[in-house]
Amino acid sequence: MKTILLNTGYFLKEVRMMIRLNLLSNCLTLISTGLIFFILSMIISGWWVSSHVVNVVQGEAEINVYLDENTVKTNNEVTKMIDSIGHIEGVRAARVVDQDEAYHRMEEILGKEASVLNNFSENPFSSFVELKIDLEEIDPVLEKLNRLTGVEHIRDNREVLDRLRNISGVLKIVGFLVVIAVGISTLVIISHIIRLGISNNKEQINTLRLLGAPESFIAFPFLLEGLLLTLGGGLLAGALAAFSINYLYAQMAGPLPFIPLPPREALVSNLVIAVLVLSAVLGIIGSLLGLASTKSN
Amino acid sequence: MIDVKGVSLRFPNGTTALNNIDLQVKPGDMVYVTGPSGSGKTSLLKLFMGIEYPTSGSIKVLGQVMAKGQTEQIRQLRKIIGPVFQDFKLIEGRTVADNVMLGMRFLDLPRDQLRENARQALVRVGLEHKALSLVENLSLGESQRVAIARAVARKPILILADEPTGNLDKDNALKILELLTSFINEKTSVIITTHATHLIEGDNNTKFIRMDQGNLYWERRG
Repeated sequence: MKTILLNTGYFLKEVRMMIRLNLLSNCLTLISTGLIFFILSMIISGWWVSSHVVNVVQGEAEINVYLDENTVKTNNEVTKMIDSIGHIEGVRAARVVDQDEAYHRMEEILGKEASVLNNFSENPFSSFVELKIDLEEIDPVLEKLNRLTGVEHIRDNREVLDRLRNISGVLKIVGFLVVIAVGISTLVIISHIIRLGISNNKEQINTLRLLGAPESFIAFPFLLEGLLLTLGGGLLAGALAAFSINYLYAQMAGPLPFIPLPPREALVSNLVIAVLVLSAVLGIIGSLLGLASTKSN
Repeated sequence: MIDVKGVSLRFPNGTTALNNIDLQVKPGDMVYVTGPSGSGKTSLLKLFMGIEYPTSGSIKVLGQVMAKGQTEQIRQLRKIIGPVFQDFKLIEGRTVADNVMLGMRFLDLPRDQLRENARQALVRVGLEHKALSLVENLSLGESQRVAIARAVARKPILILADEPTGNLDKDNALKILELLTSFINEKTSVIITTHATHLIEGDNNTKFIRMDQGNLYWERRG
């Protein structure tokens, strides 16, 4: 360790020399690892965003119950109905959303596009009972609601939730596969460039061995080269990912304001950290593999 | 310092490089190993460096048995040997000073001492003014001096020079031999292989060895 610390300047100089000797190969390596890590970072961000959306939607799980107006006519009957719904196990709260509130809610959701509602001569929305429920209890709650007299229609978000869960699951699997693919590709590329570097510096390595240099001293510049190349690739990927996420967020903010996206800054910073850590780890392992394969030859 | 007993070296293709060699080198000895190309001079130095191992017999350098399986010990030994290679083995793209310091970088010397040792060695070989020149811009004689500076900068107790005059004209060759012999003291020994027998001379402490077809013969001079 002392030797490494005493020679930090020398090692950096050596890395600079090695990169200059194979400038084109090293630049291509940096760009290709950058692009690989960029693909990975986009998959990871998709996975994180979908997981976040699922969690938010799950946390706000609601069921809307539309009452049969022929059966439940008076206010007294509506109150009784709400009372009996509220007593169902798994229902946390039940309240009536009247036609006006339903209309205003849609106005809020549509925002600038709310003028479309002016095309209706009458309020097109029905009143309904809004239930907050425990998501785990959704099946028994739905079963009991269906058995109640006076319930005309139940709208749950199960289909949407199931679809989101499926997308999140697929992204998770794709994410794992991409991580494995990225890992293998990076290891192959980095170990290859290290082998190339060793081959180009064979004479120097031989001289150092004859002078009594320890293997760790000889290997360290190559390890550093691999680490710097992958970290460079990671930084490139991080910058591209940050730019892409900012762009996508800006694009989604207008037409899709109701999608509960995670905070942009947190997403970008977590993503950049994850990519840099992964690139550093893969750089070190790739370099060690390159060194080991050369040694075994 | 060096103790060689009945050493033979045979290569897998059947060639005998060294044949039943006995040799002792004491601290402060100056040893010239002469002989034509292929006579076994370089093979002998390779044994001292741990680049080759004897097929039979035993060899000790500075108390270290030179044998297979002693990799780490031999690596440690190489730190206190100053090798000067026939082809110089200087690292291109680096300056003279960088090349001289290269041999000391893993000795855990403080930075100031590292630089001072390199400066002193370059002064000794007369190349202080070329410290910042790239080695590929040097003449053969200058390159050989840099190789010597690299070997001596780390203050070795055994200097092994393989054909240090091989690429040089007579004047430069004499200067290099003079320079190498100047490093001998009561602790430091120098072994030089050369086929330029007409250039070498020595005093009472100088030993002359002639190699011929793998056999070693002691010679008397003066």
